[in-house]
Amino acid sequence: MNAPVTGSRVRSIATTLAVALTLTLAAAAGCDSRQESDLPSVQEKLRETHIYGQAKLRIGVATNEPLMGELRNGVYTGFDVEIARYIAASLGYEGDQRLEFVPVSTEDRIPALQGGMVDLVVSTFSITEERKKLVSFAGPYFVTTQEVMVPLRLKDRIRTIEDLRDPTYKVCTSGGSTTEAELEKHQVKALVVKDVGDCVTGIRAGRYDAVSSDEAILAGFLARFPTEFEIVDMPFGTSEMLGIGVPIGDPALRDLVAFFLHKSYQQGRDGQTSPWLTAYNRTLGPWLRAEKRQPQPLDVPKLVDFDDKAPRR
Amino acid sequence: MSAAPATATGGPDAGGPVPTPRDPTPSGAPPDATPPGRPAKEPARPDPAGSDQAERRARASQSFWTAVVGVPAVFSVLRLGVEAGGELQTTLLLVANVGPVNLLAGFLTTAARLLTTALVAVFALGAVLGASVDRLPPGRRRRPLFARWSEITPAWFVAASFLLALVTWPLLYLPLLVPAAAAAFQFTPERLHERPGPRVLIVAALFGGYLWLLLPTLRDAWSQGEPLPVLLLVVPPLLALAIAGPLPGAVIRPLASVTQAAVLAMLVWAALPVISTPVLPLTVTTVGSGSGATEDVRGHVVTTDDVNMVILQEQGGVRYVPVDQVRGQVLCPSEEELPRHRLRIHDFHVEDSLLEGLGRRVRPVHRIDAACRAVG
Repeated sequence: MNAPVTGSRVRSIATTLAVALTLTLAAAAGCDSRQESDLPSVQEKLRETHIYGQAKLRIGVATNEPLMGELRNGVYTGFDVEIARYIAASLGYEGDQRLEFVPVSTEDRIPALQGGMVDLVVSTFSITEERKKLVSFAGPYFVTTQEVMVPLRLKDRIRTIEDLRDPTYKVCTSGGSTTEAELEKHQVKALVVKDVGDCVTGIRAGRYDAVSSDEAILAGFLARFPTEFEIVDMPFGTSEMLGIGVPIGDPALRDLVAFFLHKSYQQGRDGQTSPWLTAYNRTLGPWLRAEKRQPQPLDVPKLVDFDDKAPRR
Repeated sequence: MSAAPATATGGPDAGGPVPTPRDPTPSGAPPDATPPGRPAKEPARPDPAGSDQAERRARASQSFWTAVVGVPAVFSVLRLGVEAGGELQTTLLLVANVGPVNLLAGFLTTAARLLTTALVAVFALGAVLGASVDRLPPGRRRRPLFARWSEITPAWFVAASFLLALVTWPLLYLPLLVPAAAAAFQFTPERLHERPGPRVLIVAALFGGYLWLLLPTLRDAWSQGEPLPVLLLVVPPLLALAIAGPLPGAVIRPLASVTQAAVLAMLVWAALPVISTPVLPLTVTTVGSGSGATEDVRGHVVTTDDVNMVILQEQGGVRYVPVDQVRGQVLCPSEEELPRHRLRIHDFHVEDSLLEGLGRRVRPVHRIDAACRAVG
């Protein structure tokens, strides 16, 4: 008689405990559902940036780099411009009413960011340690190599870096570019002008014999003058990582740009059409010798966004 | 004691479809108009007590159904006032333009979780208290309110509430429904198999399968340093094993009063965000002026006629925008919809309900328009 009573008592104590624990867990769930999210969100980051509340977003782009950044008949076109449009739209700036492209030359990119003339720079801006001390970078969004472009008349004579060292050939490059430093490293004496476009004009006018720059920029000029030039593959040995320049004092904006580049990267990796791929196919894609893919952006923060609950597969 | 498991769910008959409490008598009591274990069993004055019982039942039934129908109706109207920013004229504008059907449908969309939570809590607690009522000291056998409510509720309504909770609760909280259901239907492990050996095996297999299903999520939660999701996913099914059955006599009264107050407090606490959830969808309307400049107006479109689009602005105030100046309009998500956890159960986000998760599979692409970000 005693055993059932004890059993029943144990049972009712277990029930009491179970009821109490269930109620506690339910209360914890209730509190959890009402709690403010402690995950950093895109919206929150956006409020921390200097562009928040700004009517227009100003993005510095090149105007004389075919396929990358070009101003033709008042319309900006090119891979950099398309990437800039994607980033701007992601940040809430879509359409000409809200987005302003500011022409910046190669050497003006850093001063334009430092001086607040532009909010972002998307202009074949190579990420280097030296530049990182002056501006922040989000990216890379493109990896390219340094190449040399020569007029067809010289295509058999300039084949190696050694040939470039020959003082009879005048090699041209743009000032403030990574190419300038790279040529110097290989003891190639280069004539420095403002933009790569000036070099190309100079070669066509007979003032220079070769131009060295990023493959992406040179591909643009090759596309414009396909019967006049040829790109010579030279083993400079370094790869250029192009990034989006952001003022150094605005880490929130850098994080957001990196986040949206990564979003596009993720879409491309999942086999979907990504904004990057669309931009690439519309501009550079047909003109590069080897097919490229979007590189994985570095230092991407983990942010939550409204589409986070969408299925991934 | 063999009669105990058979007393769990309510019968389907119209008069008393109730989860009858456990019968304290060793053998089955003779069939009676009133369920066993009721105070009405005192033989001294059967007739007045019977009519008193019937009256009480009718009153409890009335109060229950009044609450079920009345609370949503009152909430629906109250939230219009909140939505209007407390302005009388704006409230009247909303009343004039938001139809009762839209209002109720909008309310159910946003408040289904709250309603089902309240109902599930009442039925689960009511059944547990109802099963324990015979342990109350003699003479103080007035049954707790929730017990009376859960007794007068038809079984189909209880089942429907649980079903609605199943499809509207976030996946993360769904395991809590298991002990709640075990309590409401007084489901003990003994029902699985009469012999303890197979019973343990069945329980172990069920729980093992459940854990196997959740393993990737639990690992993610652990690596993200989130103990609460782990607890919420693992512990409730275990509690379901012990939750059915009578409580000790000493805790019934305190539990009844505390939980009644707690459910009421929960209703009030959870009702506040529901009342302040907008009735109308959030949009950003791009308005152009003659000079070519545009402006984004963030708010809820109340109505559109031939001349004006009436927008209740998010920051407050009503704006009448001439229709020919509207350049574009996009639907925007609100910040309350941002996820609080970064966990998924087999690609279903833990904060989605089954319905929402299913919906996302039907329309998997979610695009956030630029205009939604631009205006704070």
